[in-house]
Amino acid sequence: MTSASRPEPGQMWKRDDPAAAPGDDGNSSSVRDTVPPEDGSPEAEGASTAILSVEALRMWFPVGGFLTRRDAFVKAVDGVTFRVERKETIAVVGESGSGKTTLGRTLLRLLEPTDGRLIFDGTDITHATRKDLMWLRRRTQMIPQDPYSSVNPVFSVQRILEEPLAVHRVGNHEERAERVLRALESVKLDPAESFIGKFPHMLSGGQRQRVAVARALILDPEFIVADEPVSMLDASVRVSILTLLRTLQERFRISFLYVTHDLATAKYFSDRIGIMYAGKLVELGPVGAVLGRPLHPYTQALMEAIPDPDPANRTRARTTLPGEPPNLVTPPSGCYFHPRCPIAKAGLCDQVEPPLRELAPAHWVACHLAE
Amino acid sequence: MPLLRARDLTLHYRTKKGPVRAVDSISFEIEKGTTLALVGESGCGKTSTASAILRILPRNVDRYEGELQFRDTDIMKLSDEEFRKQVRWSSISIVFQGAMNALNPTTQVGSQVAEPLLIHKDIKKLEAMDEVVSTLRRVGLPEYIARRYPHELSGGMKQRVVIAMALVMKPDLVILDEPTSALDVMTQANIMNLLKELQVRQGLSYIFITHDLGLSSELADKIGIMYAGQLVEVGSPDEIYRQAQHPYTRMLMSSAPRLRDEETPQAIPGGPPNLVSPPRGCRFHPRCPYAFKPCGWIASDLIDRLRDELIADRGTDGSPIRGFREVKAQSEGQLALEFEDGAAAKSALHPLESMLAELAGRWAPIGSVDRLSVENRWIVLRLTKPQDPVTLLPAHGASCWLLEGAAT
Repeated sequence: MTSASRPEPGQMWKRDDPAAAPGDDGNSSSVRDTVPPEDGSPEAEGASTAILSVEALRMWFPVGGFLTRRDAFVKAVDGVTFRVERKETIAVVGESGSGKTTLGRTLLRLLEPTDGRLIFDGTDITHATRKDLMWLRRRTQMIPQDPYSSVNPVFSVQRILEEPLAVHRVGNHEERAERVLRALESVKLDPAESFIGKFPHMLSGGQRQRVAVARALILDPEFIVADEPVSMLDASVRVSILTLLRTLQERFRISFLYVTHDLATAKYFSDRIGIMYAGKLVELGPVGAVLGRPLHPYTQALMEAIPDPDPANRTRARTTLPGEPPNLVTPPSGCYFHPRCPIAKAGLCDQVEPPLRELAPAHWVACHLAE
Repeated sequence: MPLLRARDLTLHYRTKKGPVRAVDSISFEIEKGTTLALVGESGCGKTSTASAILRILPRNVDRYEGELQFRDTDIMKLSDEEFRKQVRWSSISIVFQGAMNALNPTTQVGSQVAEPLLIHKDIKKLEAMDEVVSTLRRVGLPEYIARRYPHELSGGMKQRVVIAMALVMKPDLVILDEPTSALDVMTQANIMNLLKELQVRQGLSYIFITHDLGLSSELADKIGIMYAGQLVEVGSPDEIYRQAQHPYTRMLMSSAPRLRDEETPQAIPGGPPNLVSPPRGCRFHPRCPYAFKPCGWIASDLIDRLRDELIADRGTDGSPIRGFREVKAQSEGQLALEFEDGAAAKSALHPLESMLAELAGRWAPIGSVDRLSVENRWIVLRLTKPQDPVTLLPAHGASCWLLEGAAT
């Protein structure tokens, strides 16, 4: 999982953080040191209140191997900077291949970042070792996409939920049983006693996903990455799972990163929305601002592609973007979006990479032409 | 004359627990060049309806009947061989759900698109390839794609290949079973645009199966809302999206998240019923907030709540209902309250009546209690017989007792 499995490409580019530079093998010794926030990036000021601060994060995967030289990389996450505040839900929206899932996995340190910094509650976790991450594993959780394959089919609900407690040696037998029941009650699997003996195949998709949510909650985490938690579910069940997550967030004061391709559900479930395109965050802001006045042409195109139930739809074609998302090994020059952009300006967009600019309060956009 | 007219189309599957009523007597019509969208939650029989139309049946079919008039023939009366030759793929074809992931990875997609031609028509592969290339062009793919393998194509291109497969025999009606559910939003919009364009250019008719109401509005000229194997409401887009009548349609509409609307979506409580023993009467009544007297309540729906109410009542001082012992369901339509003796039962009759009337205001199913009578130390409650709601008219309508009540 960590650096041992692949060469560390860290030497190939400049490091901003001298503290992490020695020992690029990922065994940084300053794991639990408190790192002061750095300036110069959006939202860098006052980082002490954030649960997670992400600075110029890069997650590059080497491609090639045996016969080809390993000097090409899939730039799945390429210089992403934002903060997750406490008790906030931030939605990361993008097409498949935009790097949103990789971003979620990197934030939980299931992957070791290639570059940049990750600061969880004041502690730099960018290159922390597996052993040093046990405390992080307890304070962060993931809700996976597919409730059909993410729960062990031969485990009872009781055992599925007890597993994290056993791994982290929480409580004795009675206390664990009590926590399992409480977790089931909090996800509205009622009466809880009737569910503990059940096996996944006896549950519906919605119930399975509730079990997955209960498993994520059982260690009282502070930060949860929910990766498309409802995309496999029926439309009418989606709303109930998202409502549940929202209630739980308010009750247990959890921060969420909601990874999705669906702007419509992101609208109801999050406080802020970040739009990802080709490994970069192209727009970030409060839900109302981003959806009410989308500044980036890509955000506008994404919104245009989603139909609301409206009889008028059938008589007109939807405006769509030409082409496909770029290859992340050799992304386009300048703004990664310029080959598909309806308003791209030659000489500017194809040459200069647009920085994230704060065009409205807390509303950031990476586009030369947005105003 | 409609292109396809279904009357009482029924498809039941045989299982160990009894027949699964996947499609239960549904009727609809599709005019040439139009789209009928079938919308509903998973497991309500949308895909089974498609199987029933195309006679793609599994082995465990229990009942398969009804009338399917395609142009001027009743295609249900054709033999399997005639059906295969005259109807399947040449007149009615289908884009299966997830078909793009079922393309053969070892064969060039051109040959896969050509397969129906080689099987159904007596032509040489070379002639078939000409037809394939022109079909690929119709779905917006360049000629060289025919020589590509599936792994070389993007999701959107694979979906176009699958649509080309459905179009290669030039059918009149194409069934689209969730044609975009595995695709990205941008690709989805492109495919929907393609489907619209093909319909306008070639006068195709579609049956568009989806659980996404927003998406259904992209194509539908008529929408059929399915629930538990039945069509519960059929109407034009205006009627369904703006003034839905059936409570299920209304709840489905308000459960859809919308991008351009401030309303918070509301989940529909509960889940679709088991189709082996669906609820009596209206199949939606256990989840329906408006269900009342005739909607299909039976003794087992009432018994627990009634017992709780009577036991709670027994605890209060000065309650006129004295000597209550137990509630039993005697049959589906009959409950019996046991009292200490005949006198207690007799004196409890009137207070019970008023108590039930009051309870009915708070809890709709009690409204289905039709008659009370004293028999020895029992008070017998007879329930209104569950009745199936009115059948839909082909033009428009909803199958719901509320509307029947409003009409009379």
